[in-house]
Amino acid sequence: MSKSGEVSWKSENLGKRRWAFVVFLGILILHGLAILVFTRGFLLTRTELSQYSHCSDIQQSPCFSPPQDDQMVNHSKGCWTKPAVDRIVIIVLDALRYDFVAPSTFFDEKKTWMDRLQVLHKLASQPGSFAKIFKAIADPPTTSLQRLKGLTTGGLPTFIDVGNSFGAPAINEDNLIYQMAKNGKRVVMMGDDTWVQLFPQHFNISHPFPSFNVKDLDTVDNGCVEHLFPYLYQEDWDVLIAHFLGMDHAGHIFGVDSTEMIEKLEQYNGILEKVVDVLESQSGPGGLHENTLLLVMGDHGQTINGDHGGGAPEEVETSLFAMSLQKNPSSLPSETDSSSCRLDTEKRKICTSSIEQLDFAATVSALLGIPYPFGSIGRVNPELYALAAGSERWMQNYVNVLCMNTWQVKRYIDVYSASSVIGFSDKDMSHVSDLYAQAHDNWLHTKEAVLNCKSESCSTLLPQLKKQVEAYSNFLSSITALARSKWTEFNLKMMGTGLCILVLSLFVHIFTIKKLDKLCSCYLPRGGDFVVTFEAIFAYAAVLIRSFSFLSNSFILEEGKTASFLLATAGMLQLRHAIVKKKMLLEGLLFVLVVPLLRFGIELGQSKQAVNSLFLKSFASWTVSVDNGTNLWIYVADILPFLALVILAYILYYKSITHSSCRGIFKLVAVGTIFASSLIALAWALDGNLCSPSTVIVDIKAYWIPRIIYFIGLLQLFLLAISQLFGKEKTSGWEEDTIVKVTAMLSAWSSTIIILSGKQGPLVALAAVIQGWCVIRLMTLERAKNDYYDSSTSYSSPVAKWSLLAVCLFFCTGHWCAFDGLRYASAFVGFDEFNLIRQAALLTIDTFGFSHILPVMGLPLIVACRRHPEVQAEKRKSLFFLQLCQVYLMYGLTMAISMTLTIICVTIQRRHLMVWGLFAPKFVFDAVGLLLTDLFICLASLYYFA
Amino acid sequence: MKMKKNDENGGNTILSVSPLKAITLHLICLLGLALAFWIPNHIYSLDLITHPSQTLRMISVFLAPVLILLYSHLRHDGTQCSYVKAVGRGLLALPAGAVVNALGATILGAPVGFEYFPKTFNWSLMMSLLTFVPAACVFGSSWTDWHRIFARTKASESTDYMISLPAHGAVIGAWFGAWPMPLDWESPWQEWPICVTYGAIAGYLVGLVTSLGCIIFCNRQQHLKEE
Repeated sequence: MSKSGEVSWKSENLGKRRWAFVVFLGILILHGLAILVFTRGFLLTRTELSQYSHCSDIQQSPCFSPPQDDQMVNHSKGCWTKPAVDRIVIIVLDALRYDFVAPSTFFDEKKTWMDRLQVLHKLASQPGSFAKIFKAIADPPTTSLQRLKGLTTGGLPTFIDVGNSFGAPAINEDNLIYQMAKNGKRVVMMGDDTWVQLFPQHFNISHPFPSFNVKDLDTVDNGCVEHLFPYLYQEDWDVLIAHFLGMDHAGHIFGVDSTEMIEKLEQYNGILEKVVDVLESQSGPGGLHENTLLLVMGDHGQTINGDHGGGAPEEVETSLFAMSLQKNPSSLPSETDSSSCRLDTEKRKICTSSIEQLDFAATVSALLGIPYPFGSIGRVNPELYALAAGSERWMQNYVNVLCMNTWQVKRYIDVYSASSVIGFSDKDMSHVSDLYAQAHDNWLHTKEAVLNCKSESCSTLLPQLKKQVEAYSNFLSSITALARSKWTEFNLKMMGTGLCILVLSLFVHIFTIKKLDKLCSCYLPRGGDFVVTFEAIFAYAAVLIRSFSFLSNSFILEEGKTASFLLATAGMLQLRHAIVKKKMLLEGLLFVLVVPLLRFGIELGQSKQAVNSLFLKSFASWTVSVDNGTNLWIYVADILPFLALVILAYILYYKSITHSSCRGIFKLVAVGTIFASSLIALAWALDGNLCSPSTVIVDIKAYWIPRIIYFIGLLQLFLLAISQLFGKEKTSGWEEDTIVKVTAMLSAWSSTIIILSGKQGPLVALAAVIQGWCVIRLMTLERAKNDYYDSSTSYSSPVAKWSLLAVCLFFCTGHWCAFDGLRYASAFVGFDEFNLIRQAALLTIDTFGFSHILPVMGLPLIVACRRHPEVQAEKRKSLFFLQLCQVYLMYGLTMAISMTLTIICVTIQRRHLMVWGLFAPKFVFDAVGLLLTDLFICLASLYYFA
Repeated sequence: MKMKKNDENGGNTILSVSPLKAITLHLICLLGLALAFWIPNHIYSLDLITHPSQTLRMISVFLAPVLILLYSHLRHDGTQCSYVKAVGRGLLALPAGAVVNALGATILGAPVGFEYFPKTFNWSLMMSLLTFVPAACVFGSSWTDWHRIFARTKASESTDYMISLPAHGAVIGAWFGAWPMPLDWESPWQEWPICVTYGAIAGYLVGLVTSLGCIIFCNRQQHLKEE
């Protein structure tokens, strides 16, 4: 080849490379745009109003002003309502399940973690009870940040806020803490630092402790205890908030049914006992806590695995224990008493009722006599109010409180629908207005009756009051229902636009693939019949079946099994093909036999998920047989990861180091990975009981080895990038070269991914390697045919299998498409402190490593391993490049098709009961997965298209 | 290559099945299937939904003699192989085919575990009857025939249709039958292996009808050619 020819060849190649990159970048941007637009329409954002409630607003309301000449002993004056308590101690126990608090007799079965907070039972069961256990029902999303926001604003935080959970922003809406600070209540806070992030300026004194290190069970709790007790003897605060986190962390790491959890519960029992003792000792007349209310509450529940975030009953049911230290409790009239009573294990009668977390802000405001937060749509809970504000005339007070409450909610709804772009519908508004008008008319009568009833004997008053309460409750509950159903305003136009853009991107994909087909056909020999093999047809069908299965929530739940079913079917068809051809039988059989192993992994992950999912039935039968197995099983389970690791390292050694075309940097990368593997093995060996746990060893295995491995991984990627920049172009032997490059790239990623995913890592990696190898080997089956077909048709089967395999790997590694499916603990492998970018990167690598990063990076193997000996050497390179492009496009297409169907499904099911529990997380996972795939395809195109 | 195969088959001088015989055979098959369903249901009052395992066993017990005796009549190598021998190899194929079917089901996602074992076992016996046993009765251990029937699906004569189509129908039907399993309808028939059994039976019936149609069609073509 002449010099000038070589130059033009080079520049042409460079141009093509740029062209490919531009195409992939374009698709990335198109997908990003589609998802962005759709998300804007779908993931609801409630308009936050900037108005605040003010003390003086009471003059506009039709209700009574609280008497200014109060007989209350302390300085606090009522503002909207007559204050019922002087001080409130709020103890928040993160992830407090309802069955932690309620006696075990309330449930079908007594579990180990029940009946541990005995002090609460004792208090609640005392006759003439001034303490009560409530079942508090939270609204999803049940993450701490959203719940704190909901508790303090009295509103419904929307899904989009989940994204802000890392790095909580301050609340800009009117909220309880703001109102407390504004109205002269001194607030002391200790514990979870999320509070300080939410309310940076409102606390008089705060003692925040870092909340993000899930592994740390005690720092926050010890800090709380240390500060809590001194404050109980002090006078300089009105509201004290102590947020204990240990239970949430114990749940995340060990699950509910664990000794750590029970220890935590027992510790809390002790703390609460002591708190109650201190409070009671000073609750005499004139004492510090004469008129104090103690609230012990959870912000959300948790599943048996300690996960939360969704809308499953276990997650939304938390509890609230309230105890008034005032010694004049009133018993509630029976009509409002929604409680159910049972005997506990010690034959004490305990009654529990139910409360909405939505009502918390309004109730606490009413008790303290401060204005309700402007955006609160909750109702003052009668039982909690009566418990704390017990007095002779509590019913009259309560009616007035409800009057204020109703007026404030009506005002908010009016302002909201006037200022928001899409307010409530006219029909709903007129219905609500009617209810309000009714209640208001009634109020005029009631007001009269109350005013006339200064004398003691007025028998008509009580029924009138009850009627009034009912009217208000009607209005408020219809508002809550309206808000819950309609709040979440989907912007259908945006959603439609996003969907259209995505569909457009599908056409771009298909068009480009077809175009490349034409280009490829110049190189490929023509001859024979145009054949579409059955395998190719099934590949298309499998992608479509999988995508369309997302239209049903059941198939989304069982997505992993669906994928393994389709993968197994594809494998069986391939095996049949192999039998027809009478070769590659071994590979076909191996492929088919590894699929059930992947499925067992998926089922294992699912059994973890099934515990907290009501919708999912678990097939735990085979896992049970492992669980109650003998020592041999445990031994085998211990040794298998090491074995797999050794095999992986050997494969790498055999494939790359002994390989002739593996030189220089690539060899170095392979050596690095083998070194990293041995480090991983070392870390796990130290993890066992072999050595005595000295701090040095713990440090080494928990911090230094992971960090060294991350460092090696980064270094390897850096080296590969360098080699790409300064590498020489070759025109021959580049197929081998590509294989070496792919191997180096995969090995650079693998050690990090394996250490993040724990001991299952090498097993899954080994299975993936076997399956990938089988797919590639079996691909040559079709080569034997002399028939002519499109290059896209010939690659459709391996690409489809590759993507199905990727899906299986995602579920096999114990993930699922829900936020409780994220393995937060893996973000802290090697690190203890929380750093947003670092931990988010680790979590992303753990979640998407096996299922997105490795498959995309390994995809060129499909093309590189298929030789076209009939094509001339220099043309072969162009062909290779075109086909690689095509394969990447096809892989992207499979992802984009399933994303499209997910979006359609989410659009159809947007009013579904499980939309926040199931469809929205699925959408988010798919969207992130698609964008990551696109991004890595872009990077891969830079790396491989040399 | 195709030509060569045809020659081989042609050289074997197989007794071709007349349409009438095929119809009778298929009718008896249908009758056997219906009886195998009817008897457990009405005499032993066993239901596939309530007692899947026992019912499947019953179906196998009633179906096995009908199919084995019937298909042994069609044995390929009639001159060298006695009727009893054909029946014998049919009986041998029953467990062998069951193992293959059970393995296939497990690979595709059938639940594994002690409580599912009897269900899977009985189901795979039935599947073996619908798929492998007839072929074993007819072809014995002739690998080329098996290969032709199950791997290449290139039917060359009417017995091929009679064996290959119902067997493929049963497998494909079972595959489709598994689809409703994950749905949350909470119906008892969604359990393994009930809907898969229904699917397999439905597929088998479709296969029977199709094979009948094929045989009649081929016969007519042949007649036309001869004329």
